[in-house]
Amino acid sequence: MQFRLEKRREPSQFMLYATPVAAVALTMIVGAIIFSLIGYDGVGAVREIFLTPLTNAYKWQDLGVKAAPLIIIGVGLSIAYRANVWNIGAEGQYVIGGLAGTGIALLTYGMTGWWILPLMVLAGMLGGMAYAAIPALLRTRLNVNEILTSLMLTYASVQLIYYLIRAPWKDPMGMGFPQTRLFSEAARLPFIIPGTIVHLGVPIAVVVGLVAWFIMTRSVFGYRMRVVGAAPHAARYGGFSEHKTIWLALLVSGALAGLAGVLEVAGPFQRMVPGFPTNYGFTAIIVAFLGRLNPLGVIVAGVVLAITFVGGEVAQTTIGLPNAATGIFQAMMLFFLLAGDILIKYRVRRVVPQPSQGAA
Amino acid sequence: MDLTLAIIVTVVGASTPILIAALGELVVERAGVLNLGVEGMMLIGAIAGFVVQFHTGNPYLALLSGAAAGTAASLIFGFLTLSLSANQTATGLALTIFGTGFSALAGSSYSARPVTLMQPLLPEQLADHPIGRVIFGYSFPVYFAFVMVVAVRYFLHSTRAGLILRAVGENDQSAHSIGYSVIGVRYLAVMFGGAMAGIAGACFPLLLTPQWAERMTAGRGWIAVALVVFASWRPLRLLAGAYLFGLVMTMELYAKAGGGVLSVIPSELWAALPYLATIVVLVLISLRRDATTNAPACLGKPFLPTN
Repeated sequence: MQFRLEKRREPSQFMLYATPVAAVALTMIVGAIIFSLIGYDGVGAVREIFLTPLTNAYKWQDLGVKAAPLIIIGVGLSIAYRANVWNIGAEGQYVIGGLAGTGIALLTYGMTGWWILPLMVLAGMLGGMAYAAIPALLRTRLNVNEILTSLMLTYASVQLIYYLIRAPWKDPMGMGFPQTRLFSEAARLPFIIPGTIVHLGVPIAVVVGLVAWFIMTRSVFGYRMRVVGAAPHAARYGGFSEHKTIWLALLVSGALAGLAGVLEVAGPFQRMVPGFPTNYGFTAIIVAFLGRLNPLGVIVAGVVLAITFVGGEVAQTTIGLPNAATGIFQAMMLFFLLAGDILIKYRVRRVVPQPSQGAA
Repeated sequence: MDLTLAIIVTVVGASTPILIAALGELVVERAGVLNLGVEGMMLIGAIAGFVVQFHTGNPYLALLSGAAAGTAASLIFGFLTLSLSANQTATGLALTIFGTGFSALAGSSYSARPVTLMQPLLPEQLADHPIGRVIFGYSFPVYFAFVMVVAVRYFLHSTRAGLILRAVGENDQSAHSIGYSVIGVRYLAVMFGGAMAGIAGACFPLLLTPQWAERMTAGRGWIAVALVVFASWRPLRLLAGAYLFGLVMTMELYAKAGGGVLSVIPSELWAALPYLATIVVLVLISLRRDATTNAPACLGKPFLPTN
């Protein structure tokens, strides 16, 4: 029995949305097998990573808090990737956003006022935007590949944190620890559900996703991004400048990564620490793809990836699975998703061997 | 004199893994494939090399294991992008994420356990004199990298197989219609890239820091990818580029060790320098007129035969 691929006349809408679900399911099955083979409790690992965070209501607050930055960054990346602009330095833009917010928090240290948080958010978004503007400028002016520049800037941004918290921004009362002081009350993100760790960033993430979905489906901006990505030649005929699209894609994704950064530093962290870069910017790449570069899909995908993070921590304590296993599950999800992409444009047909017609 | 000597030796050590990984990626890209998973394959090679060195103490076996592990990882990429025509950029990123997680998991029980560094290849007597040390005092991978520069150059420009590989990268449809297996050639190129990245990764525990540390390649795989652009897809320019970066990274080490003038600048800036230098170099390259004319025409595009 043989199979062959046959091109579909139209890309399959069913497969477009079925493959991410299948990718998650396959990851669970194959993950369980692989982890069993290398000597862990594979079924237990999958149960703890994918199910415990959902069945244990106590973990839901963690899900929201972890999903928020992933969704916010993922939405920005989904917009950029739609336009075929490969910003993979969201982690760096997230860091600069967090640092910009920290700067405002330290400047206004000890002050009170409702304006402090909005100012921090503005600074964070501008910071992320400015950092993403560097790859945009280099790409549009000098045709330098944005993949490499945005990534190199990420490595540099981490060093900037280390420098700032070691020297000029160091907590004078920190007993030598490289970190800033704890932000004052007015610079901390309020909790929206009393008694939990759910902060204002969580509803903001949902709003960002919804607004982005509306803009991407209903506005000229969204149309531009989709057309430039899907049919660059047609877009040029239609009068959409490629350079302007690159700028928009990077600035929007940078601003959102910066927003996620400032919300993280003002929310869960409440100060700048060396451990601030938590790879949300890289994981959000998986979120964007798993969400099919659709802001509504990104919200769902953000929650799925948050489940693996929270579940990974659970599995670490309950069955002693190393934390790194989470990254493997996440990468597997992306592998299966990318492998499944072929089913959108092609269908698998079984080739029935023809009985040989006469003697040759 | 002693300091100069020490600096040269450090530069060579820092440059070697980047050069090896970049040579692999150069061949991959010449075949028209963009594999952004170099960093991930290097990490997989690093942990494979480390584990084998830890248990056997045989560095050559460790390098071979690194190569095998890197090749295996590259086959995941190859299957997805070549057999299933998946997006190369996304698949490469996925491979790097996978390699980071895989190496961290495999290495989780090996932290803080030392291995022995690889010994120099040639007899000690040759390296007695300082100048002898600079020329003859290195371990095998250093010479391997140099030999491979020449070999890759010869292969690409003077052999029939190299010509076919370049044809596949420049015009896949024509190569296909003449009867060459585009996918087959690309698989071989991707596997070569994986093996080289794996060897490069294994160099980290064998040559540089004799222990396992998560993410120990620290973005060098990405610098290798950038170097290929820097070198305009030419092996000899790659050699120059890799040594330039080795020099920049060495300055960081000396600054951290408190080396006089260098320590005026914060050590974090030195640590960021290789990455910033990469950007500067990419900008300088783009200013040249022939900047992208050397890029293989089919780079990063999936091959779908039209007939």
